[in-house]
Amino acid sequence: MDKLVETLLQGDHVGALSEARRLLALGIAPERIVTDGMETAMRRLDDKCTVESFNLLEIMLAGRAVSAVVNELYPEGAPPAQGRATFVIASLEGDIHDLGKNVTRMVLIGKGYRVVDLGKDCPVETLVNAAEREHADAVLVSGLITPVIPQVRKLRPALAARGLDGIKVVAGGAALKQATAEELNVDYVAETAFDGARYLEQLARRKTE
Amino acid sequence: MNSLERVKAAIAFAPVDRTPAVPQLFGHAAVLAGMALEDYLRDGERLARCQIEAYRHYGHDMVFAFMDFSVETEALGSLLQYRADQYPDVASYVLTPERDVSALAVPDPAVAGRMPELLRAASILRREAGDEAPVAGCVLGPMTLATQLLGIETALYLAVDDPARFENVLDFAVEVAVRYGLAQIGAGVHLPIVFDPAASPAVVPPQFFRERLLPRLKKVFAAYRAAGALANWLNITGPTAPILPWYPEAGADIANFDYYVDAAEAQKLLPATCLDGNLKSLSFVDASPAEIAAAAGALVAAFAGRGGFLLSSGCEIPLEAKPENVAALVSAARAGT
Repeated sequence: MDKLVETLLQGDHVGALSEARRLLALGIAPERIVTDGMETAMRRLDDKCTVESFNLLEIMLAGRAVSAVVNELYPEGAPPAQGRATFVIASLEGDIHDLGKNVTRMVLIGKGYRVVDLGKDCPVETLVNAAEREHADAVLVSGLITPVIPQVRKLRPALAARGLDGIKVVAGGAALKQATAEELNVDYVAETAFDGARYLEQLARRKTE
Repeated sequence: MNSLERVKAAIAFAPVDRTPAVPQLFGHAAVLAGMALEDYLRDGERLARCQIEAYRHYGHDMVFAFMDFSVETEALGSLLQYRADQYPDVASYVLTPERDVSALAVPDPAVAGRMPELLRAASILRREAGDEAPVAGCVLGPMTLATQLLGIETALYLAVDDPARFENVLDFAVEVAVRYGLAQIGAGVHLPIVFDPAASPAVVPPQFFRERLLPRLKKVFAAYRAAGALANWLNITGPTAPILPWYPEAGADIANFDYYVDAAEAQKLLPATCLDGNLKSLSFVDASPAEIAAAAGALVAAFAGRGGFLLSSGCEIPLEAKPENVAALVSAARAGT
């Protein structure tokens, strides 16, 4: 498993895929590859990526390698059956930038969570519908531009109007992270994808306790 | 002192009558004038009129011949999606993993895309305000232009998967930046600002900046200096502390610092370079004028003993900024020293 962890950390998607295939051929269960391989790599990447040294290039390379392994482990597109939390993620209507969202999705998948990606330019109502349908534990929104902020502020009231008050709202991205959770009317503002993932991990832990 | 004299003095660390106020005020000038942003971005004359109107309204110290980050890529063949009240986005990138940069030719700013309109704006601004205020142009740095030609995900993967091919894209981007920047200087800008947000440590590691971007920025700035630019301004946002010490080697005389880097740290990292920053952009939307005044006043005080400072936002003043907040920044510069 060490070699898989190493290739994932190096962002070597070809090497990681080859290693995942080798482990599968040895009869190791996909769930164990996720738990012992991908999650270990993500924890180490998290340790390395402090706010000061978080950069998109390294995260995207690791994320590409994680995606290659997940696609190999679950070729039918079935989500990892880890009994973990489910998150719904989108860039809201008016914002067609989705890089931050994609990076966050990759990090969360690497940590074994189920992530439903609604893409970019997503209306609040679509996000709320999906959160209800998927029994989401949290909805995550990424925003690169400030005009999307009024949309973000609508999320919690829209969830509450459907009786979904228990679903947490997490915001991130260059524009949104300049604001406080209170200003955005959300539960948490993530400085980076890993920072958001730490908050969500605490949430998931509390759910299972 | 007029604005031009004041900014020149600040860049040279010479005494100023007050801190220059240089909010990064681009498309907000259209909103202030009640003009659709798309019209402002497509018509150099309208852009210049709005900039001059904003300059007269706020009394800040610089006007900007700046459209958006998609001018170069559009001139090279990317297709943009325009929106009435937002900056355009690239709908289809001119380069793909299959299409090599050798298929492209450096665009002629006199005829390519919106470049001629930008040059027209620069000429008007120089003619109507250039004796009293510096006119800044806008050029994309090599890394950001590469991401605008390929899309950021494709560009970053290419940088790792095929470094030689990516270097070719960067070299081409340097040629574009030099030609477009020299055309802006020819049209009347005092200095073309090099915007390279994709060179930020938030996007690529500092080593990538030092090894692959710094030598190319040096070429761009050397060309501008030789052409008589008033100064070289490197504008990279985000947590730039690890790369700021390299700016003088790049040839930058003015270094933007964003809200991630505090004033004391920026001064320590760049003791002999004029700094501009670093009020949080979003605060111009959300904060009160009193809050802006307090934050701006603190910045002015932090630089009082040093000089070499342009009071600014760390990034662009948002389109929907409250005008009273921009005015509060300018007032704080006037109230300080």
